[in-house]
Amino acid sequence: MRTAKLMKVAQELEGIYTVDTLCKRLDIGRTRAIYLIHRLRKVGMIKTTYVAGNKRLYFISISNKLKGISFTDKINEATTNQGIHLSGANIHFIHGREPSYEEALVYALKQDSVRYIIASLGLFRKIKDWSSLYSLARKEENSFVRKIAALYDVSRLFVKKVRKMPKRFVNLAMKEKDNGWVYVIDKLYSRDFENIEKRWKVHIPLNWGDLEEYKR
Amino acid sequence: MIDIREQEEMLIALGNMLEKKISCYAIGGTAMMLKGIKDSTLDLDFVFDKGEDREEFIAALRKLGAKESDVVIVYGIKENTPIMLELGKARFDLFTNKIITSVFSQNMKERAKEIHEFGKNLIIMVADVHDLIIMKGVTSRQKDIDDIITVFKKSRIGWNIILKEAEEQVKLGNEKAILSIGEKFEILRNQKIIDVPLSFLDDLFNLLRKQVKGKSKEKKKRS
Repeated sequence: MRTAKLMKVAQELEGIYTVDTLCKRLDIGRTRAIYLIHRLRKVGMIKTTYVAGNKRLYFISISNKLKGISFTDKINEATTNQGIHLSGANIHFIHGREPSYEEALVYALKQDSVRYIIASLGLFRKIKDWSSLYSLARKEENSFVRKIAALYDVSRLFVKKVRKMPKRFVNLAMKEKDNGWVYVIDKLYSRDFENIEKRWKVHIPLNWGDLEEYKR
Repeated sequence: MIDIREQEEMLIALGNMLEKKISCYAIGGTAMMLKGIKDSTLDLDFVFDKGEDREEFIAALRKLGAKESDVVIVYGIKENTPIMLELGKARFDLFTNKIITSVFSQNMKERAKEIHEFGKNLIIMVADVHDLIIMKGVTSRQKDIDDIITVFKKSRIGWNIILKEAEEQVKLGNEKAILSIGEKFEILRNQKIIDVPLSFLDDLFNLLRKQVKGKSKEKKKRS
């Protein structure tokens, strides 16, 4: 099959499939479906993800030809736990360079979404450049550094192999405490992390139950 | 014609060439390609908020070897035509807020939530599918109708959004907006290409009637 023909097929088929659903959609056998997936992958129009039971999901789209990476993909990259991965529409892509984990963390916190906050905790394991994280956070609202520090403390309780936060970052975050209490997500606070909340004067929008998946 | 990957490479080179961060909106075929609705396009259409940003963009394009192209040949003698430059197989159409007869309204800007960053300094916000339909709906080219059909097949459409934006376009000075959109959708419905709700066409017609009444009142006042 030529690339142009494959493009048409990909356009027609756009969506998420397993091998079985692809067989049903096209009314073809398993071998032919696997061959089609192979050809589409060769021209870069398939992205594969794994779900529970190690089942493969194939996302067919011509936009997969773009080499850009979305922040959502970058956040998912930080953890192997499928239960924590974010799914749904990606709306911020970076082309021509690899976005850093520090940028991804700032992006996740800016989304004001519990799902993003939960997924972002895994990013703390990957953060190495704390000074760049600090300068990125400073570009945002006043208490952003403090929010990061508070969530870091939560991540230490659940995520394995999280590196120590540098003292300089702690001190800079502590300085912001004079500005009073802040919410990570408006009006959401925690019953289970009160100590961390008091330490940073930041309301954390999570409870133990929300983070159980990290313990698996 | 350039395809998705060529477009991406070109925009990355452009983003690296720009000296400061510039943001603009992608419309037309470019937006459709970034959304994965189309695989190739003739021209790359961008809308800029500020004239200076467009100048900066043009300077970077020239550094990459782009040459000016004749607007009259493509668009004829019209108002709000873009600055056109050609680079390799691609043609860049660069607008500032007004796109021939349409206006890139504040609501359209707010709906453009998908962001693509290219290279160091180019940030492109992609116009929403509803706005792509509206902008394609007010032209009279066959390829735009084909694009509307493709967008419909690939996306979920909120008819109310189209209705409100059509009204907004009239307020912003595009007097033919409701009429052109209504006419296109009626044809597409009659040919059974798109399942356009009858209530939507009725609402559009009511808006048109309101517009005509308003106009005739204005005329009476003047006379």
